[in-house]
Amino acid sequence: MRLIRRVVLIAEMHGRDLIRRRAALGLLIALPLSFYLASARGDRRAPVTGGIGMAFAVSGAALFSIMSARDVDQRLVLAGYRPVELLLGRLGFLGPLALALAGAFTALMAIMSSPARIGIVGLGLAAVSLQAVPFGLAIGAAVPRELEGVLIVIGVIGVQLASRTATAVSKALPFYGPQRVIEAGLEHNGALLWPTMHTLGYGVVLLIAARVFIAPRVYVRKPSPPEQPADL
Amino acid sequence: MNARLVVSGVSKCFGPTTILDRVDLSVGAGEVMALTGENGAGKSTLLRICAGVLACDAGVVRADTPIGYCPQEAGLFELLTAEEHLVMFGCGAGLSRRDALSRGYGILAEFGYPLHERVVVRDLSGGTRQKLNLALALLPNPAVLLLDEPYQGFDHGTYVNFWDHCQTWRQQGIAVVVVTHMLAELDRVDRVVELPAHPSRAHGRGRS
Repeated sequence: MRLIRRVVLIAEMHGRDLIRRRAALGLLIALPLSFYLASARGDRRAPVTGGIGMAFAVSGAALFSIMSARDVDQRLVLAGYRPVELLLGRLGFLGPLALALAGAFTALMAIMSSPARIGIVGLGLAAVSLQAVPFGLAIGAAVPRELEGVLIVIGVIGVQLASRTATAVSKALPFYGPQRVIEAGLEHNGALLWPTMHTLGYGVVLLIAARVFIAPRVYVRKPSPPEQPADL
Repeated sequence: MNARLVVSGVSKCFGPTTILDRVDLSVGAGEVMALTGENGAGKSTLLRICAGVLACDAGVVRADTPIGYCPQEAGLFELLTAEEHLVMFGCGAGLSRRDALSRGYGILAEFGYPLHERVVVRDLSGGTRQKLNLALALLPNPAVLLLDEPYQGFDHGTYVNFWDHCQTWRQQGIAVVVVTHMLAELDRVDRVVELPAHPSRAHGRGRS
């Protein structure tokens, strides 16, 4: 109960923070929208491109949420929070936000692209959203500065965008599963189980990575009580 | 006097530069200690080690908890208000939303924080931001209070008020360490400890 209360509070505060960043919030919608609209006419794979745009936007939001608060995060741990509560709080806000974005894009794609199985496309977009949050958090926790984080996000998602076939490289990337789910929604058939398992497995690994990487950055050494005083 | 903070043989190097070399220190309950020293002597580093946010290379820090730490650079969320900070930090310390606000408002009022201005931290002046920084350190009702030049940006009234508060903290039995360059105020503290710069720096090795 205490854990839930604290995680909800962290999520609430991150929500308040992001809502006040109106430009960032606008870009969070505009980026995937521009990816999608740029290819919506004439390209039946436009939902895949839009999904990649969502991966950029949501990963970026997660990355900056963790990197811009590094000093505060350590202070919050000193105040009594556990690192995992800070991570879950971010996940608790960014996850639903990303899912809402996926819902809106699914509706848009249903109108503009008329995929064979819109429900499956929606599932794929939701998978992109949920994968992008732990991906951004893991990168943000692992790298020393924002520039490195941004370059890794651009690199990984860019390679994902460039590799259309199921190559070994493509399969090793985090958005392979969601991409295949969206592609399955564009046809009347297509495997769902393996890409879904890939997404879930990768998501769990990314969350664990984020937890492992954030620990030393926000670590606070708890002192034991004094025994014998000494003077300088 | 019972020691609330004991530092034994603490050393810290950054690369080839020795910042702290086997520092020993003890601060008792109700004692206000000023930590002075030239720039780069390691005052802030020592305070960070005492707070537990920086690991030392050798030595041990023992302290009663909770520790209130007011860093020189206020680590705050730029787009959250003071009220939201109080709730967030208070919840970490185990306070309810109501208790965190009640206690936090009380502390902020003591330092003349403009409570009627519900603006985000980004729009606060440096001194007002520092008042919030100090309030967050005091929020958990600390046993040990570590203050790294906490009065930066304070107007004269608040500055005087800050040193008056040292007397209150003393009466409450809090062990207080204040990093300061304000030599005129050293009669307001119980003890002054000057942290010497390590010889490796005086001889020009390492960072200046």
